[in-house]
Amino acid sequence: MTTAGLEFRDVAKAFGAVQALRGVSFTIAAGDAHACVGENGAGKSTLLKILAGIIRPDRGALSWAGERVHFSSPREALGHGIGMVYQEMLAFPNLSVTANIFAGREITGPWGRLDERAMRARTQELLTQLHVPVTPDTSMERVSTACAQLVQVARALAFDCRVLVLDEPTTSLTDAEVDHLFGVVGRLRQQGVTVLFVSHRLPEVYRLCDRITVLRDGQFVGTFERATTPSDDIVRAMVGREPPKRVPRVSSPVSTFAPAELRRTSPSSPALQVRGLSSRPAFEDVSFQVAPGEIVGMFGLVGSGRTEILETLFGLAVPDAGQVAVDGQAIHVRSARDAARAGLALVPENRQRQGLFFNLSLRHNLVLPLAAKQGVGVIRDAGEEAVARAQVESLAIKTPHLRVTPDALSGGNQQKIVAGKWLATTPKVLLLDEPTKGVDVGAKFEIHNLIRRQADAGMACLMVSSDLPEVLALADRILVMREGRLRGELPGAGATEEAVMRLATQEAGGTA
Amino acid sequence: MKKVWQVREVSTLMILVLEVAFFTWYLWPSDGGHPFLNVGNALLILKYSSIYGIAAIGAAIVIITGGIDLSSGAVIGLTSVVTGYFFVQAEWSLTASAVMGLMVGLSAGLASSWLIVGMRLPPFIATLGVMGIWRGAGYIITEARFYDLSAKLPRNWTVAGVSIDWVPPLVMVTLAAIFQVLMKRFQWGRAIFAVGGNETAALFSGLRVGLVKTTAYVTAGLLAAISGVVLAVVQGQGKADLANGYELDIIASAVVGGTSLTGGRGSVAGAVLGALIFGVLRNALPQIPGATFYDRVIVGLAVIVIVVMDQVMVKRAS
Repeated sequence: MTTAGLEFRDVAKAFGAVQALRGVSFTIAAGDAHACVGENGAGKSTLLKILAGIIRPDRGALSWAGERVHFSSPREALGHGIGMVYQEMLAFPNLSVTANIFAGREITGPWGRLDERAMRARTQELLTQLHVPVTPDTSMERVSTACAQLVQVARALAFDCRVLVLDEPTTSLTDAEVDHLFGVVGRLRQQGVTVLFVSHRLPEVYRLCDRITVLRDGQFVGTFERATTPSDDIVRAMVGREPPKRVPRVSSPVSTFAPAELRRTSPSSPALQVRGLSSRPAFEDVSFQVAPGEIVGMFGLVGSGRTEILETLFGLAVPDAGQVAVDGQAIHVRSARDAARAGLALVPENRQRQGLFFNLSLRHNLVLPLAAKQGVGVIRDAGEEAVARAQVESLAIKTPHLRVTPDALSGGNQQKIVAGKWLATTPKVLLLDEPTKGVDVGAKFEIHNLIRRQADAGMACLMVSSDLPEVLALADRILVMREGRLRGELPGAGATEEAVMRLATQEAGGTA
Repeated sequence: MKKVWQVREVSTLMILVLEVAFFTWYLWPSDGGHPFLNVGNALLILKYSSIYGIAAIGAAIVIITGGIDLSSGAVIGLTSVVTGYFFVQAEWSLTASAVMGLMVGLSAGLASSWLIVGMRLPPFIATLGVMGIWRGAGYIITEARFYDLSAKLPRNWTVAGVSIDWVPPLVMVTLAAIFQVLMKRFQWGRAIFAVGGNETAALFSGLRVGLVKTTAYVTAGLLAAISGVVLAVVQGQGKADLANGYELDIIASAVVGGTSLTGGRGSVAGAVLGALIFGVLRNALPQIPGATFYDRVIVGLAVIVIVVMDQVMVKRAS
């Protein structure tokens, strides 16, 4: 039982001209907790899709328990005991928890009559086992993100799961929820389930897994023992070079970074001033300001109202009360277009859903907000080309040309497109919502530099992030939100993770 | 760079050319004049296709925004009635009557977009409702009678030296050219594609999504109304049940021309070519002995075959 586990042998897969996997071979021992890490584009997701039977490899083979297997559909993979928990929820929000767990493989009586009672009982059993605080009849749309993740685990377990695959399962979970999930996974391991954990977050990898396999550019780099490998070695293996050093800006930006003339023209007015802004129940009575050339970090746990503040400032939601001023001028924005005209720009949290047009070329993606702001009528190719090319060059976006659609780019370059389309409007205030969510280490470093460069050029930056090291490294000042209110402000230099976290969690009203 | 035959309009045009070549060969006469390949017949095809084609331009625009417009057939019918009422009953000039007819399309577009943008109804439901009401209004106005425009229209009528028969195809081609340019070279068209490609991102990018959708439905309504005026003149009638069920043929024309029902992709030139493909089928099939009763089946099959072929080609290209 403990000998032959899951083996990948010389697995290769190309998508068009892109070689996603170039002959990857490694073995996961049965009963092991194994991590697979790598930058975006390293081939992790392709590997998982092959394991799940969603795509077929061009070359190579899989074997499971010493036996060669071929999955030509997700159904077959499930039949062999491969249970997947995806990063993006694959749930039917309109159905009950029970229906979600048994979707496609319902327990049936004669002539396909659904055996609701058996499915309900099995669901109850699984939910109890995993300590999920929902009932089998709860509608999936009323289940929280964390519980939905555990429902996916339950779905995997409902069918004699022998390998549990977790694809970035912690992206949208709070620490307490991560603890719960890891507790569940730990117990499953004791029952002999093999775990494959795919993640960007090395601390979590170290917490959960015994062995770590690193992929880079579609190639196998190595499998490392947790006990004997420091995490810097893993980072080096992932990026193929030294891990980037964080460069905190040390001095106060207003005195050193903002161009002198900027301060002369508006001696007392901050670039962005917010007074008593409220939009109940998301947030209440929020006041702060951002000076030209300053990076203000806004930290808070999920649900603390951070994103809602940015979206309200950007005209996507209407506040109940409060005033907003840009460069000392009061503004009343009712739409993103108004906001853009007032000199604001928002790089939204979800680039796929809120930022990019996958049916349009990069050039068209890059010029849309500028065109919307200016209200141009006729399209001028040369002008558009120049605007787009300037952004591609200044942000070092890696792309063969401007006619490709955004799906041809890696996550980090997609994020730069979203930033670039707003920088093209030359805003006074740049609002950033989780600017490095889901991008790899190298791209994160580049995006941090990009934000610093904008601030150095005199732009006021307000950055929401739940990545605490990122906030500490970038921000000149840190605003901490909790339960819809601003709970404190810390100087960027000298703030510690503990100090920020204390403000963000203290006196929390019991619920996690 | 794309190969020429990978441009969607070119492959649609190729289907049309192959179709014409096939019927020319199949219907080749043993003696005398060709029943299919002659100027008179070509004009007939163009004239009737333009009724579908003009409305299909609007259908394509709406579908590219990610919506659907089921009211086009009803708008065509009611437009013929309203134009007929003012021209025959109220004895207005034809131009003034046609302008009143266009109001039918304008009102339908405004109603649909109010329901979709303002009341947040799904486009399918909103335009289904508008379709019922606008169709029904035609019956209320006519009370099962019809307006006979043909009696009042001049014989051997020419407009600027051109026979009236040529006017509908010319209107269709002109409108197709105008909207092709608007969709490709103007911010308005870009916004239509952006909204259909990713509505949330469009909102976050500062586009006026509601306004963009409103202009799409109003444009579709107006274009359907132009089809209605053309039909009233070509048919010489204003009648409540004209163009019954046309909405599906119009949508099919847009889809066959490369417009994706999921939004964000398509072209108005393709929609017009799609309308011509169906126009040729409708004209040629009844001329094949024994095929008369099969024409609906063949038209249905053609929709499926052409769209499947397109998907195969898209897959091959990527």
